[in-house]
Amino acid sequence: MVTRTVKVKNKNGIHLRLAGELVKAASMFSSEIMISKDSQEVNAKSILGVASLGAEYGAELVIKADGEDEEEAVSYLVKMIDSGFAEVKDE
Amino acid sequence: MSKEGGEKKELVFNGIPASPGIAFGEAFVVNVDDFMIDEDKVAPEAVDDEVARFKEALGETERELFEIYGKMQDDMGDEHAKILDTHRMILSDEIMINDTIRHIKDDRMNAAYAFNSVLDKTLKKFDAIKDNYLKERAEDIRDVKRRVLRNIFGQRIEGLDKLRKKVIVVAKSLTPSDTAGLKKQYVQGIVTDRGGSTSHAAIIARSHGIPAVVGLRNFTKFVKPRDRLVVDGTMGQVVLRPSVETVKEYEEAQRKFMEMEKELLTIKDYPAVTLDGHTIELAANLETTDELDDVIGHGAKGVGLFRTEYFFITRQNLPSEEEQYKYYSSVVKKLAPESVIIRTLDVGGDKIARWSHDYQESNPFMGWRGIRFTLTRKDIFRTQLRAIYRASAHGSVRVMFPMISVVEEVIAAKEICKEVKEDLVRERYQVGDEVEIGIMIETPSSVAIADHLAKEVDFFSIGTNDLIQYTLAVDRGNSRISYLYNALHPSILRMIRDTVNAAHKAGIWVGVCGEMPANIHGALLLLGLDIDELSASPYLLPEIKKVVRSVTFDETRALAKKALQLKTADEVRTVIEKFISERRPELKELIPEATR
Repeated sequence: MVTRTVKVKNKNGIHLRLAGELVKAASMFSSEIMISKDSQEVNAKSILGVASLGAEYGAELVIKADGEDEEEAVSYLVKMIDSGFAEVKDE
Repeated sequence: MSKEGGEKKELVFNGIPASPGIAFGEAFVVNVDDFMIDEDKVAPEAVDDEVARFKEALGETERELFEIYGKMQDDMGDEHAKILDTHRMILSDEIMINDTIRHIKDDRMNAAYAFNSVLDKTLKKFDAIKDNYLKERAEDIRDVKRRVLRNIFGQRIEGLDKLRKKVIVVAKSLTPSDTAGLKKQYVQGIVTDRGGSTSHAAIIARSHGIPAVVGLRNFTKFVKPRDRLVVDGTMGQVVLRPSVETVKEYEEAQRKFMEMEKELLTIKDYPAVTLDGHTIELAANLETTDELDDVIGHGAKGVGLFRTEYFFITRQNLPSEEEQYKYYSSVVKKLAPESVIIRTLDVGGDKIARWSHDYQESNPFMGWRGIRFTLTRKDIFRTQLRAIYRASAHGSVRVMFPMISVVEEVIAAKEICKEVKEDLVRERYQVGDEVEIGIMIETPSSVAIADHLAKEVDFFSIGTNDLIQYTLAVDRGNSRISYLYNALHPSILRMIRDTVNAAHKAGIWVGVCGEMPANIHGALLLLGLDIDELSASPYLLPEIKKVVRSVTFDETRALAKKALQLKTADEVRTVIEKFISERRPELKELIPEATR
């Protein structure tokens, strides 16, 4: 199991559409991936779960993966969040 | 679901009677965000069906989203593609799907209840989010939830024109776009939370002869799709899940109501003439050609108001000259030699078409509507006038402009009529010899300058609904202040008196095409105020005719004269009811039992 922490860089936080992008990325991996904020933990492959975290600008997220590609999964998602969803245009 | 709500107790709701008659049927819920979801358990053998129902609803919702956002893509670019993408991800959220299916299988929850519980759990988390922007994303989720629930219940979101089964329409409120193209054979009754007896839903119901109750406050919170209902539009009552005994009672009441209607219809072919020989024209209001048989069947002398906007707002694109020509002439031919007053396009206010207003007005009723719209969009205006003038070759046609507030509008509109007519003659089209031109009197300014306006036109038609709204400065759809909306208010009676005086002085005739003659009080006063023509829903004509044939012109003139001197609407009502009971007690049965 791999665990890493990352801060949200997007001004508007991880809103529904970004949550969708995150879920799409997470779904590329076979590992079970969970994201938690404060005491809440959700499945990273569920858009409803990720969006309901209410991950605002500056919030600290813990990414946790368990499975064959756990290392790749965590580093990919952390990079994605840390870069402010660089490839994804944020309005 | 395993059971119908049969064993649940019936509930009675009291609202405002909006259109008389009694209807039975299943609820078809439109425009409601929160469905009433029951917690009925699913029988073990029905679990698989219930899961299938849930999955089908997801698929159906996805198709629906494609339809909506796919259509919009041209004008909005990929912003909508992104929304569509996000909404589809919600629909295919595996955690959500698995949780819902588990609730159905393990807890025997019905599909709606299971799905709703799962989504509500998510939505509850949104409530706890502090960041407002992120919190508001819950709206998207609610939107998807609503669509899925509606599909679980098998009730798609679409216009009432697509209905193909008999239902009672239940809504918080209804707009003209909702009711456009509504068919009487499918809509058995109408029930709304909001509105008074002059709200759009009420008017539409009366004009189609559909029993309706409005102003039920929070009825939509209790009803769920397909619940059995009884609608008593005469008394303003709705019964939810009626017992067998209740249904029997209402069947008896319905039988009596229909008998009375039938009796009224026996006078449909008699002239509308008072006991002392004064004649008033009784014409019908017409919205769509579907109602033509009703117009003829109720003994109307032609059409006093042919509303053309419904033909426009029920379609995606503007109708062509040829389409309009065919549509108008079908009405003109069918009613010839009686005349048809075609009102030019009255969009704006609460009648908005896809192509008409691409911006939100802060005050639509005082905004870009009626003649103001058509004088700016002369292309639309000319095309419509060409179609109307061409239709005039097939019978007797009059043109009428809505929402006139200054003389310049009339002069400009008449000029365009003249040009259109000349063009058509040059192009060798047949046009009627004498197409009278008239205007709606529905703004206070048009009453104040009625003498000037009368010199420009061949007739007036007073639109009482808007005239009351503008004169008393009251939004008839706002239930907090709708008490002010009253046709019997002395200010309205004086407005009508002034209009009639100006018209008759100029030698032109004046009609009324609003809701005012719909009840006996209004009908008696309008007769006494010397109105020349009344145009109303065909269903109301026999009753109005009965009133006219039961009184003398002289006594109604005296009554109107007295009413004009009174201070309040209540005093006016009292005087009229006193008149009825003292002089014409046989008309007492026409006073609505439940006055508002």
